[in-house]
Parts: sequence; structure tokens; C-alpha cells
Amino acid sequence: MTTTIGRVRPDTQPTARLRTDILGTLASEFVKIRSVRATYWTLIILIVASIGSGATYCAVEAHQWPHLTPQDHANFDPTQASVLGVALLGQFVIAVLGAQTITAEYSTGMMRTSLTVMPRRTVLYGAKAAVLAAVTLIVALSTSFASFVLGQALLAGRHAGATLSQPHVLRSVIVTAGYVAVCGVAAFGLGAILRHTAAAVAAVFVLFELIQRLAEALPHNLYTSMEKWLPGGATVGAITATTPDSQNPQLFSAWGELAVLGAYAVILVVVGAVLFRRRDA
Amino acid sequence: MIEARGLTKRYGATAAVDDLSFTIRPGMVTGFLGPNGAGKTTTMRMILGLDYPTAGMVTVNGKPYAKLASPMREVGALLDARAVHGGRSARNHLLCLARTNHISRRRVDAVLDLVGLANVAGKRSRGFSLGMSQRLGIAAALLGDPEILIFDEPVNGLDPEGIVWIRTLMRSLAAEGRTVFVSSHLISEMENTADHLIVVGRGRLLADSGMAEFIAGSSGQVVLARTPQPDALGRALNAAGATTSTGEPGIVQVRGLTEDVVADIAFANGIRLNHLAPARVSLEQAFMELTADSVDYHGQSPVDTQPAHNGSEA
Repeated sequence: MTTTIGRVRPDTQPTARLRTDILGTLASEFVKIRSVRATYWTLIILIVASIGSGATYCAVEAHQWPHLTPQDHANFDPTQASVLGVALLGQFVIAVLGAQTITAEYSTGMMRTSLTVMPRRTVLYGAKAAVLAAVTLIVALSTSFASFVLGQALLAGRHAGATLSQPHVLRSVIVTAGYVAVCGVAAFGLGAILRHTAAAVAAVFVLFELIQRLAEALPHNLYTSMEKWLPGGATVGAITATTPDSQNPQLFSAWGELAVLGAYAVILVVVGAVLFRRRDA
Repeated sequence: MIEARGLTKRYGATAAVDDLSFTIRPGMVTGFLGPNGAGKTTTMRMILGLDYPTAGMVTVNGKPYAKLASPMREVGALLDARAVHGGRSARNHLLCLARTNHISRRRVDAVLDLVGLANVAGKRSRGFSLGMSQRLGIAAALLGDPEILIFDEPVNGLDPEGIVWIRTLMRSLAAEGRTVFVSSHLISEMENTADHLIVVGRGRLLADSGMAEFIAGSSGQVVLARTPQPDALGRALNAAGATTSTGEPGIVQVRGLTEDVVADIAFANGIRLNHLAPARVSLEQAFMELTADSVDYHGQSPVDTQPAHNGSEA
């Protein structure tokens, strides 16, 4: 009986054991994420909604193009038009997947089984976050590129489209995808903290929309100076834009804003990790 | 081998598990018995490192659970059969567990065969009956061919066939020299399964003994004597320090004396005995006596809950 169990014997060396644990748990988490329909539904919704909204935006612009002023033509950012939907809609769709990666284990009770077979909690938590980040980044990149290509095709008739070789276009497409993946990871951290899907998704909404909306009520100077540190609002514009947004000089560049949001995600994931290690499962 | 020393878990002021010490040995089925809410599940969760003790410690093969090099190869556990992601197929459920400990896909299929789920391996477990879920949980516990098996109320809600299957399985696992630790709130389930009993009530250890000693030691052996002179026999035995009671007419129940001594006393007093035998105290009775003070939620008998007066109703 024993011979059929597996090829790898338990390692006794701590570093070798850690490596064995990490590889095994990554493989396990990949099986988990690919073996439930919820993953596919969420990603299909992400892809369809993102590409659909980008295409709609670009089609409408193409339709109205002759009626717009030269000033409008100059201000139009065809890259942003095609990928804005990826960021705006994708952030909330991916939040559901990110939160569920961990909250579904609590709601079903699966977490107890997972921790029984892999009691090294940091390894389990890290593997979950890593697999989620990898899957969401790959899907988000594909979606972002697809949205870009479709959007530019729709604008090509008006000669209003952009190409990847133009300045900052590639950056915009990649940073948009990165933004979606960062949202997924932030939602995962909130899921670990709150251990409840609906609560975690609501918290993502609060973080990415509500805080910025409330901050708008602050004195104008104060708000302007802190806006670049806030998620939501004009941030999505800065991330998707190919030109430094003339209306939002108070923000960081696209990479800078992505880094700010990444920092939020890291804080949430680390707080989640500390709680994950400390709390009873 | 599982060893608990002073194991304690408090939630606020209440102690779910209170200073438990015990050793679970290999080669036998150890029953973990106690009323609902006695702290059995909490104890098992602490053994598996899911909950952290407030005080004390518990080790598996001499180590805290989280330090086991390959946990699935050392311990297999079934805490709650329904605690699986219902959207995942049985095979994928087992596969994601197996991957963590580098257990092969072939072994996954082997345990699916072993528990009789091979033909539903590709089905999502959401549609499984409780019996099938239980089998899936057992399959997960057996994946790593572990030396130690921990089952929390494994026969709860099962049909008779499932109960027999699990009992037989536990017996055969113990016969192979493995450590089997199984909890239940029903002593009748233990009667034919366990070799050793650990009894808890309100988180405290009430008994830790072999099955036979547990029954024998419960309230002293009872001897039943049938005689045409019950009153005379009762007086003679009481004089010798025994407590007696009369049940059916002509039957004297004797506590505190062996049947040999009862026979001698009867002979010495010229009392005729028609029958004399030790009465087997049922395990159920022994358990009820032991845990009578530690049941958290007492039900009232239906008679007590009847309205005291019915006359006012028109």
C-alpha cells in the first residue's frame, strides 16, 4: 500500500522541507482554483464585461468622431478608451474571485481540512496568494490586450486609434492589467481579515470608492494634496492614461499610482497573514 | 501516539477543555466519549493544530502537529464530512489535498476505490448524501496511509450499513497496529468498537481506562440473587455491609459484595438461593452515571412540561 502513495519522501532538512512544502502547496492551490466553476464564471464575466465596455466606448467615440471639435480630438486617448473598462469593471469582478479564494474555504469548512494537510500556515497562505496573483495577472493581461486590440480596430476607420509602439501605450495596457491583479490580491487580504465573502467584497468597494468619495468632502487643498495616495476616483484615470492627465497633475504617474495601490494590497495581505497565523481556524 | 498534558482551552470565562491529560496508544481504538459540548471536538482541533490551547500542550509522535514533516503520512483526520467545497469533484478534492504532501494521483484513485466512491469520483460533492460525504472524508484521512487516525463522530447520521462499514474499518485499522482515536457522544457506538475509553464532561477528564475496567469500575458490581426469602437475605447482607434493593419480587440486587460472599452469607443464615449471578451493568448506564453532573443541556421529561392544570380550558 505504501509504495503507491508517492514518490517524494518527507524531508528532514528544514530548508529542503520548506521547498517541498511550498511546491506541493502551490500545486494544491492551483488544483483548487482550477477545479471550481466559480473561478471560470468570475473570469468569463471579467473578460466579457471588460472587453464589452471598452468596445462600446470606442464604438461610440468612433460614431461621434466627425461631430467632435479638434480640441476633443486632441484630448481623446484611444488607449484609455479601450482599457478603462478593464480597470473600472474588472476591479470589482476580480475582488469577488480574490476574496472567495480564501472566504469560500471558511464558509464551506474546507479551511480546517486544508490546514490539517498543510499546517504551516504561512506556506498555505502564501501559496494561495501567489496562485491567485498569477492567475489574475495572466487573465487581466490577456483581457487588457484583447480590449486594446478590439478598441483600436473600432477606431481605425476614423484614424483615431493608437498602436503599441506609441509612447506609453504598452505601459497603459500593462499597468491596467496590473491594477486588476492588485485589486484581486487586496480583496484576498480583506477576505483573510474578514473571513466572509460578502463582507470582503463590500470592504473592497469601501476601499476603492467610498474613501475617495468621502475625502472629496474635505477642504479642497487638503484633498488635492492627498488624492494621489487614495485608491479610486481619478486614480483609475491616471493608471489607464497614456499622457500625464492634464486635469490631474496632482497624481503620480501610472506606475506610481499602481505602486501606491500595490502598497495598500501588501498591507492588507500582511495583516491578513498575521491574523491567519494567529487565529483559531 | 498522541499525548496531551494539561490541555486547556478557554473562551472568555468558560473552559471548553479543562486541564486534560491523556495518552492515545497505537494498536487499538480509543473512544473519546462525552456528552455534546464536553469539549471533544475542541480537543481534536487542538491536536491538529487548528485551535491553539490556552494552556498546556498536545503532541503527535512527540511533536506539535505543525512540526510534522509530512502531516498526511502521519495523521489522517475526519472532523466534519460536510466541510468540503461542494463545487469540487470528489477526485479533485482529494487531489488538492494530496498535492500538498506530494501524494500521487494513483493513490487518490486507490482510496476512492477503497471507500467505494470510484464511480462518482468525477461528480461534484455538493450532491453527495451524508454517507457518501463521510466516505469521502475517510478517503481523505487515508490518503497518506497514516499511522494515526482521528475521527470526530464518524457515524453521526449514517444508516446502519454505513455504521457497520465504519466500525469494521476502524477495527481493521487498529488491528494493523495503527492508532485510532474516535469521538462519540453515544456510548452504544463504542461498545463494539473501542478498546480503551477516554471520557470527558464539561471539558474535564472523567475516566481514562480500558473498556472492561470502565464497565466494572462504574458503580461496583451488582449481584442478583433470587430467593424465596428476600427480606431475610436483605437483612443478612445489610448486616455484612452491603447495600441491597429489591426489584422484581423475589430478586435482591446486591452492591458491594461478590457473588461468593453473598452465597456464603446466605448459607450461614440458612436462606435458600434459587439463582445467583453477577449483573452486567450496561455501558450506557455506566456512562450516564459518570456524566450525570456534566451534561450542559438537560432536557425535561415530557411529563414535566405538561401544563399543571387543564381545567381552565373551555
